[in-house]
Amino acid sequence: MNKRMVLWLLAGLMAVPLVVGQACAQIRIGLMAPLTGSWASEGRAMKQIVDLLADEVNEAGGILGQKVVIIAEDDGGDPRTASLAAQRLSTQGIVAVIGTYGSSITEATQNIYDENNIVQVATGSTAIRLSEKGLQYFFRTSPRDDEQGLVAANTLKEHNFKRVAILHDNTTYAKGLADEAQALLKADEVEIVLFDALTPGERDYSTILSQLRSRNPDVVLFTGYFPEAGLLLRQKKTMGWDVPFLGGDATNNPDLVSIAGTEAAEGFMFLSPPVPQDLDSAEAVSFMTAYREKYQGDPASVWAVLAGDAFKVLCAAIEGSGSTDPAEIAAFLRTGLEDFQGLTGTIAFDEKGDRVGELYRLYQVDSQGNFVLQQ
Amino acid sequence: MQLFFEQLTNGLAVGGIYALIALGYTMVYGVLKLINFAHGDLFTIGAYLGLTMLVSMGLTSHLGPLAGILVLTIMVMGLVAVIGALLERVAYRPLRTSPRLSAVVSALGASIFFQNAIMLIYGARFRVYPHDILPVTSITILGLQIPVMRIILFTASIVMMAGLYFFVQRTRTGTAIRAAAIDQGAAKLMGIDVNRVIMYVFLIGPALGGAAGMMVGLYYGQINFTMGWVYGLKAFTAAILGGIGNIPGAMLGGLLLGVIEALGATYISLAWKDAISFLVLILILIFRPTGILGERVADKV
Repeated sequence: MNKRMVLWLLAGLMAVPLVVGQACAQIRIGLMAPLTGSWASEGRAMKQIVDLLADEVNEAGGILGQKVVIIAEDDGGDPRTASLAAQRLSTQGIVAVIGTYGSSITEATQNIYDENNIVQVATGSTAIRLSEKGLQYFFRTSPRDDEQGLVAANTLKEHNFKRVAILHDNTTYAKGLADEAQALLKADEVEIVLFDALTPGERDYSTILSQLRSRNPDVVLFTGYFPEAGLLLRQKKTMGWDVPFLGGDATNNPDLVSIAGTEAAEGFMFLSPPVPQDLDSAEAVSFMTAYREKYQGDPASVWAVLAGDAFKVLCAAIEGSGSTDPAEIAAFLRTGLEDFQGLTGTIAFDEKGDRVGELYRLYQVDSQGNFVLQQ
Repeated sequence: MQLFFEQLTNGLAVGGIYALIALGYTMVYGVLKLINFAHGDLFTIGAYLGLTMLVSMGLTSHLGPLAGILVLTIMVMGLVAVIGALLERVAYRPLRTSPRLSAVVSALGASIFFQNAIMLIYGARFRVYPHDILPVTSITILGLQIPVMRIILFTASIVMMAGLYFFVQRTRTGTAIRAAAIDQGAAKLMGIDVNRVIMYVFLIGPALGGAAGMMVGLYYGQINFTMGWVYGLKAFTAAILGGIGNIPGAMLGGLLLGVIEALGATYISLAWKDAISFLVLILILIFRPTGILGERVADKV
């Protein structure tokens, strides 16, 4: 008899979470971000911003009267870790997931979320093919590489550069952007004097710079990330070589200037979606106030802010569709967003789940090391 | 031709750093037959400790740049050496008699521990050495513009390597290290305290690795907690290329790897740089399985 009592008791205890869970229902939203690994700074900033916004929403009463709970998983900036993270998240009853940063990392997780009927809003993944697979639940708040490629090619043409060297780092993102820009420039008969890749994560790029200099380009288009861009600028300066550099949006990080040094970074141009500091919409201003109060300082990069945008559109879609059903959320994201103001401007999605509208702007580093939006 | 010599100097400068780190791998392997996978992270620790002491103590402003950096180097080498010896005591000594695989797993674990410890202490963002410490002058040799700092760093790494070579070849402790490398059991019977010898190895290797980390920080400026991985991998390759367990082999392997990388990148393709250097490694291992200097020198360390 004793044994049976114990068993009943255990069964009862196991039911407690179910009952409690019903009583205070929550809306669970996953966050998949590179919290460790070489993009850890991006991932941690993503989490900070999403946590900040979730706290705001919960203080205001939550969505549909329910609290929002953020469940963060680390993708390590690595496709294998990411697919494990996606599988773990899929078992935790989330309705949607925010993330992640790198395109190849997002790609490893797309099918997992799609099969589990979870809405995924990627935040830094700009590779074109991610949204060309006809996935119902995939969206992104970041723009696509082809848009950036177009802006890059136009910028180079406007500045009348005749001989262009293109350097990428063999990641899905950087290669995609480099290919896009090269195709557009070739079509306009701009001479591509070098098209090659560096190995990210190294310290010494003087071999590459020597090789670039020997081809004598008017400008170098570097489509990789800020740590390498900073080193390239610094070592270019040491070599005494004075050539303009244009970077892709992954170079938009203040650490670029600290790595390169103010002197070497001066004049560096890059393309990027505008950061909230440079925008004067009500949403951007109130976000910046809250952010500065909680974390002292400005967000380190625009990509983390796009994670905030992903959170905001998800909340809007859950609220707007009055449902936590993924199909309805996805339908609302495609058709229901009208003039929705995010942290980086107006947000709407097309049929493929891509963000609609011109987002890219040209920035240049001034003599104090500030990023100045070019008009 | 100008480009060839320019790339040759680029390759030698990188190779000097590889060689310094490779020495740590090769010495440990010589004595313990263990690949110390945490060595790359000791290199990272050297870079971070160098930055911390440089910024907090203001050595260069009190002593002037050269003397300041000399003192800094000695301090970094000392501290990283202590960490290396502690690593050996905690992670490797208890496994001395267990199968070799256990020690390798322990080394990988130590590497993950160090990497994450650095991230948690210093944060995940890139750290940057102050920009105004070193003079940014270049000198022109035979039409080549070479930054003075490059020459100084290269010379420093050669001096350290030469110092180590003479230490191992000419001193009593060095002889004990060589003896323990050849046959630990026999060395014990001859009255050599093998534990002490192993401790020396774990003091010297990490000290050189730490110094390399600090030099990378000083010259390239940017450091982060994952930097040890790439350098560790390349240095490990260099050690094998030259013949693992062999000290001059590690030096030669490091310099050679740097030069192969630079020339391969120039004349074949930048993106294929690593593939080319690993191809060379494979070819050398096919024809000389023990590495370039692996067999020729009898007294390995």
